[in-house]
Amino acid sequence: MPEPLTVEREPRSVRVHLHGDLALATARDVYARLQPIARRRGVRKVVVDFARAGRIDSSGVAVIGLVRSWCARHDKQLELASLDDRQRAALEMLPPPAAVVRRTLEEQVVEPVTALEVVGERVAGVASAAAALVALVAATLRQGVLVATRRRRLPAGSVGSQIVAMGFDGMFIVTLLAFLLGVTMGFQGVTQLQRLGAGVFVADMIGLSMVRELGPLIVAIILAGRTGAAIAAELGTMRVRSEIDALATMGIDPHRFLILPRLLAITVVGPGLTLIATFVGVFGGTLVASIALDMPMAAFWERIHERLAAGDFAHGLAKSLVFAWIIAIAGSHLGMRAEGDPTSVGQATTRAVVTSIFGIILFDAAFAVWGPG
Amino acid sequence: MTAPLLACRDLVCGYGRPVLEGVTFDVGPGEIVALLGGSGCGKSTLLRTITGLLPPLAGEVRVLGAPIYDLDAEARGQVLRRTGTAFQQDALFGSMTVADNIALPLRELTDLPEPVIREMVRMKLALVGLTGFERRAPASLSGGQRKRAALARATILDPDLVFCDEPSAGLDPVVAASIDAALLQLRAVLGMGLVIVTHELESIRAIADRAVMFGRGTLCAAGTIDELIASRDRDVYTFFHPRSA
Ligand SMILES: Nc1ncnc2c1ncn2[C@@H]1O[C@H](COP(=O)(O)OP(=O)(O)O)[C@@H](O)[C@H]1O
Ligand SMILES: [Mg+2]
Repeated sequence: MPEPLTVEREPRSVRVHLHGDLALATARDVYARLQPIARRRGVRKVVVDFARAGRIDSSGVAVIGLVRSWCARHDKQLELASLDDRQRAALEMLPPPAAVVRRTLEEQVVEPVTALEVVGERVAGVASAAAALVALVAATLRQGVLVATRRRRLPAGSVGSQIVAMGFDGMFIVTLLAFLLGVTMGFQGVTQLQRLGAGVFVADMIGLSMVRELGPLIVAIILAGRTGAAIAAELGTMRVRSEIDALATMGIDPHRFLILPRLLAITVVGPGLTLIATFVGVFGGTLVASIALDMPMAAFWERIHERLAAGDFAHGLAKSLVFAWIIAIAGSHLGMRAEGDPTSVGQATTRAVVTSIFGIILFDAAFAVWGPG
Repeated sequence: MTAPLLACRDLVCGYGRPVLEGVTFDVGPGEIVALLGGSGCGKSTLLRTITGLLPPLAGEVRVLGAPIYDLDAEARGQVLRRTGTAFQQDALFGSMTVADNIALPLRELTDLPEPVIREMVRMKLALVGLTGFERRAPASLSGGQRKRAALARATILDPDLVFCDEPSAGLDPVVAASIDAALLQLRAVLGMGLVIVTHELESIRAIADRAVMFGRGTLCAAGTIDELIASRDRDVYTFFHPRSA
């Protein structure tokens, strides 16, 4: 790109010649170059010369507005030279002193939904749901590739804030439930196995079932109820309020802006919570067992350590990852398909929870039968 | 005359079944065109089609010269970025402040530095008469204020063409007039073309250069406002002289 401006130093002033358009494409550069000039000490006067400048858009006007306020703040004089009529008109956009704002009561226009529309929507919904699901996953993956190859970026901070929302939300309840589950299993295990004189095997039982099955499952069910429902409700609300359409008309892809951050966040949160749940569950189980059998807890942990292979953890974490994706995709899909009035948001939310729990159990069964050991 | 900002040719739009058929009209640079017609006649549907949200069942739409439905999503996005849309519901993001709503296209689509973005937001808020509303939540605004905030967001990238669905529906005449004023002010400063869906006779008289009227599933009249007011066509006459019917 050619230089957007050249600078001519005079004893106590600076003359800046703008070249070409001062618009979205160049505003960043011009701003970066003007800022140090306007702040330089010893300069009493800044002249911005528009003789060779082209069109100015809002971003250009904003840049000039900022220069003007620095100059005012630092007691410098600013002169805008050789403005043509269009440039002068554009610069008149700079806000005048605060305007008086009149307030009114809001009135909302509610468009009725006829019974026919509801029925039609149902039928069309069933017919196109599968196609829409595939399209959603494909579009999200495509945006994921664009982000991974740095041709697009995620909204700043979106993944982090989603991780915090999903993770901290679920943390307490996951810990509590996993602990209680472990305690129940430990207690049951001890009573049953002790009769066979095999009390110490309770460690194998608790370890294996928490790591491979119950840890991932309990986290998935809680995530489905909290996070999956939240995703469907958030996206559904945005859909109903035309916010998703608004994104689309701005040329911002909703898959990248809304779904991808949630998918990435749950990819971290699902396995993360699963690890926590697993350890807390094993802790609860061994605690009960050690009290009941009057053996040190360390003995159980050692046994679990011997019996469990890295493969068992991989098995559990792999499942928790798939569960997490099922939840995020079901929530996003059903949320995005909400349409019309706010009741559809409620429906989308309920359906998201039921669908994802169904999907999780289905996948779990399939994985148990056909999956790798 | 230069190429039209919007060109519709024998457009049929609807949801599976046609809602509107035989829609042919243009919007020229800097022109304000009103889309008129009774409630439910398909104005919002047409608007969805010309803003790239609902593919037409037949016919052609060119936005800023580009046949948007023949382009891939990426290229269509590029064209749509040069337009702005204010929805019938304001479609402000409830979880963001007014300023963040308006700044969103800038933050997402440009690499402008933050101070410039804030200055641009301040400017656009001033243009729509909402100076000082930066940090408010959309839920705390009145209906008219929300519409004007949505207008500021729709015009933040200095679009060549802006679409507004019922900007003053459900608002009292004073607030409605303030929205008309904001639209005129934006056009004066940005030189953009405007397509407005509205029922408000006052508003049409005040700001539209031309109007296109729909009824009975098709385009039934088009012309300058004066031509339409003088028209003897029954539907048009009834619309412009509601009390005489
Ligand atoms: N999503 C939709 N699916 C099917 N039909 C719709 C949908 N939205 C609106 N319609 C129907 O299209 C017709 C035109 O609606 P609309 O374009 O919103 O009218 P208006 O002119 O009041 O803006 C109405 O009969 C309406 O019921
Ligand atoms: Mg409408």
